[in-house]
Amino acid sequence: MSWFMGIDIGSAYSKGVIIKDFELVASHIILSGANYRTSAGAIRTELIRKVNLTQNDIANTIATGFGADNVYFASQKASDIVCTARGTNNLFPQARTVIDVASQSTRVIRLNEKGIVTNFTVSEKCAAGSGRFIEVIANVLRVDLTDFSRLAARSKNPITFGTGCAVFGESEAITRISEGIPKEDIAAGVNNALASKISSLVKKVKLEEPCAICGGGALNTALVKTIETELNTNLLVPPQPQLITALGAAIIAAASVTLEPGKKQTC
Amino acid sequence: MTKVVLMDKSDNLLSSIKGPTGPEHRQLANEVMRQALEQASLQIDDISYIVATGYGRLNVPFADRQITELSCHARGVFSIFPSVRTAIDVGGQDAKCMKIEDGRLISFVMNDKCAAGTGRFLEVTATALGIKLEDMGNISLKATRKIQISNLCTIFAQQEVIVLLSRGERPENIVAGLHDALASRIAALARRLGIEPDLVLTGGVAKNTGMVRAMKESLGCEILVPQEPLITGALGAAILAKEIYMKAVATGEVLPTKARRLDKATFFTEEYR
Repeated sequence: MSWFMGIDIGSAYSKGVIIKDFELVASHIILSGANYRTSAGAIRTELIRKVNLTQNDIANTIATGFGADNVYFASQKASDIVCTARGTNNLFPQARTVIDVASQSTRVIRLNEKGIVTNFTVSEKCAAGSGRFIEVIANVLRVDLTDFSRLAARSKNPITFGTGCAVFGESEAITRISEGIPKEDIAAGVNNALASKISSLVKKVKLEEPCAICGGGALNTALVKTIETELNTNLLVPPQPQLITALGAAIIAAASVTLEPGKKQTC
Repeated sequence: MTKVVLMDKSDNLLSSIKGPTGPEHRQLANEVMRQALEQASLQIDDISYIVATGYGRLNVPFADRQITELSCHARGVFSIFPSVRTAIDVGGQDAKCMKIEDGRLISFVMNDKCAAGTGRFLEVTATALGIKLEDMGNISLKATRKIQISNLCTIFAQQEVIVLLSRGERPENIVAGLHDALASRIAALARRLGIEPDLVLTGGVAKNTGMVRAMKESLGCEILVPQEPLITGALGAAILAKEIYMKAVATGEVLPTKARRLDKATFFTEEYR
């Protein structure tokens, strides 16, 4: 019985992982949709299918994220801040700061060498400070989120948004399109606006290097580059940045039963 | 919206027309002007002086002068309610609170930074509720309770509305909660300026009876609403146009005027960049 599951139900995407001996063995991501309970169940089914297991093989499951209450099969809930820190620590033990750019919020977490949170700040009041700003403008530009980054990277002349609001920003983007401004310049403008908001958030908790970045926003490599320039640092980017928080949840699930190699039990 | 008010020298309203500003951004002023002239049975050459105001005031090619919307609103509201000391104008683009003394603008505060403090908050959430903006007022009057909207951001509130609906909450109770949320934010803005009665509410939001009620509760004072809350800016512009013209006539000064041609605005794009 050495399989552990972490489920992270976010406002946009639901993520799940299975780990064995503190190593990722399976992962799955779906849109959260309108019924988080159904999404949670679907993720579990798919995860155990991928590793040829049954539900009973999973020794422990921890749920996290905005919709954690809907993960009916989890033994416990954990804070997403704690999970993000643990997940980051597992991949990048050297990281002392992590930026999580999610759809609903952006979080900046300071952590120690054990993956314990020492400080954090959250921007959750305003969509212009979270990945949602990109979703909104990508929708106006009629581009996929995966194409958004490539588009922004091509820009020579990024626009400057005259507003700090995602709703007004949407209107502004439409105006710019009608004026014939190329899509890439609008996309790069959004990245710049978001990067500057994220940087000021990082400065609130003070950057301690090395710094990692995760969440769906980290898939936007052009955004990551812009943040690197703003903060004057190189960011550590995990191969699957959306999974970090779910991974952290699975690690907490495992640590509550077994000892993580080289670490003192903390949960 | 583009609004046109035509007025004679004795302050008689000859015409007042509202029309769409248009997706092509402020190019339709000529079209609304044409309708207003038609209503008053006048030709463009008959108009002695034209003042343009509002966000797009620089894009009205036939206007003789541009005056800020704050000054025009203050003047327009004062002409309807001479007792006004505080005027609040809430539209889809911004919210403005003005302190007025004897028809003159003394000071103002404005929010054009965050949609959640403007009428746009209701436009966006009405779409999520599947109801028309203009029906929101009447729908909210049927509310049995107010559901508190916990998200500040318009985009997150839109999502919250969908979640509330899926939970089976009644639309009228949600609308009442949305009105409350917006009213408390506008009241907070107005308090920065200091509220003195009489208080007048204008702009699209003033047409929403539920919002007027919510604003009364949030501000804790009575609110006066003009019959046509959308045209106070244009009305003020017409009054100021008349005053400028009459003064020039009295002093014998020759006022420069633009060509009286109803052209579309086409020049602004380049300038805008």
